[in-house]
Amino acid sequence: MRTDDLIDQLSARAEPIRSGAVARLLTAAVVAGIAGSALVMMSMIGPRHDLTAALSHPGMWTKLAYTFAIAAFGLWLVERAGRPGAEMTRPALALVLPLLAIALLAGLQMSAPGADMPRLVMGRSSRVCALLVTLTALPSLAAAFWALRKLAPTRLTLAGAGAGLFAGAAGAFVYCFHCTEEAAPFIAVWYTLGIAAVTGIGALLGRPLLRW
Amino acid sequence: MIAQEAQYRDWMLAALTGDAGAYRMLLAGLTRHLRSYYARRLDSGAAEDVVQETLIAIHARRATYDPALPFTAWVYGIARYKLIDEYRRHKRRATVPLDEAKDLFGHDEAEEAIARRDVNKLLAKLPPAKRQLVSDIKLDGVSIAEAAQRSGLSESAVKVAVHRAVKSLGEDVNREGQKRQGGDADR
Repeated sequence: MRTDDLIDQLSARAEPIRSGAVARLLTAAVVAGIAGSALVMMSMIGPRHDLTAALSHPGMWTKLAYTFAIAAFGLWLVERAGRPGAEMTRPALALVLPLLAIALLAGLQMSAPGADMPRLVMGRSSRVCALLVTLTALPSLAAAFWALRKLAPTRLTLAGAGAGLFAGAAGAFVYCFHCTEEAAPFIAVWYTLGIAAVTGIGALLGRPLLRW
Repeated sequence: MIAQEAQYRDWMLAALTGDAGAYRMLLAGLTRHLRSYYARRLDSGAAEDVVQETLIAIHARRATYDPALPFTAWVYGIARYKLIDEYRRHKRRATVPLDEAKDLFGHDEAEEAIARRDVNKLLAKLPPAKRQLVSDIKLDGVSIAEAAQRSGLSESAVKVAVHRAVKSLGEDVNREGQKRQGGDADR
């Protein structure tokens, strides 16, 4: 086809684009992803039995806030990664905040008088935590990739890592409702490890799955 | 800021509201930049295909343009991505030096054509033998040795001839520039 003919054809199809199209797409992906992750968590391991009581524990809110913040910054990263020419430095720098906060809190708890260090770090579920976070995250990972494939990522590995970061944190957020661990050191180590694993999976899948 | 930014951004914003006329102007304008950008980086056969692929990508992904960001950077991001994709497909070098949107919009086919025309006009002032030497060596990149062989002159004679010819052309350009400036001052 001649390029001039192509321009004719394309300009004949200048349907209006509603503003906020990207935001709607990402909202749909977040809702679908978290619903999927919740379904996996409920059917695989179920919520903790004392969930109602746990909602008054500060430890519960600590891990919810930590994973929520990372998921939010991860989503911001996905949104920037999906737009050609957009900078990703600000969302990447913002990630330092929740990481710093949980590290600080973990340090405080471990340096408290009479702190049981191994117990604070290892809890009772350290062997399964990162793996269960990863499995819970998979539907969110699929949803984030689905959204990115409709956008225009130009740095595929980075975009995949952003999707993994969001999904890992969304999975961890959902996993909070199952897990009975509430010590900050445990969260800082094992939740973060699970999120990092999903980020790595996303980075690896970026190149093969996000090409357009 | 890239010179075309304001104009292209206006056309893009109009196109996003469904203005086909503005969209056509935008695509036609971008095509000139894309052609020149890819022609300098790909084989001539592949270049036009990638131009078309990029236009289709711009169309299909136009919802990803964020009006808060420069439009030229958005287009450049797509153009560079399609270039890297083309290199990968042919297992050629997989990295593109980190250049900027200026690279896409700095060169313009029309501007290049004007520059070429100016050069030809200048060359026409030279006697034919010298014109051949200058155009071979300075424009086509023929080696001095080869040009000497072709013209039957010694290498040092070729060097001297080209040097003098370029110098005289340079003086011509300067003289014309001064004349023009003088004319402006008179008015």
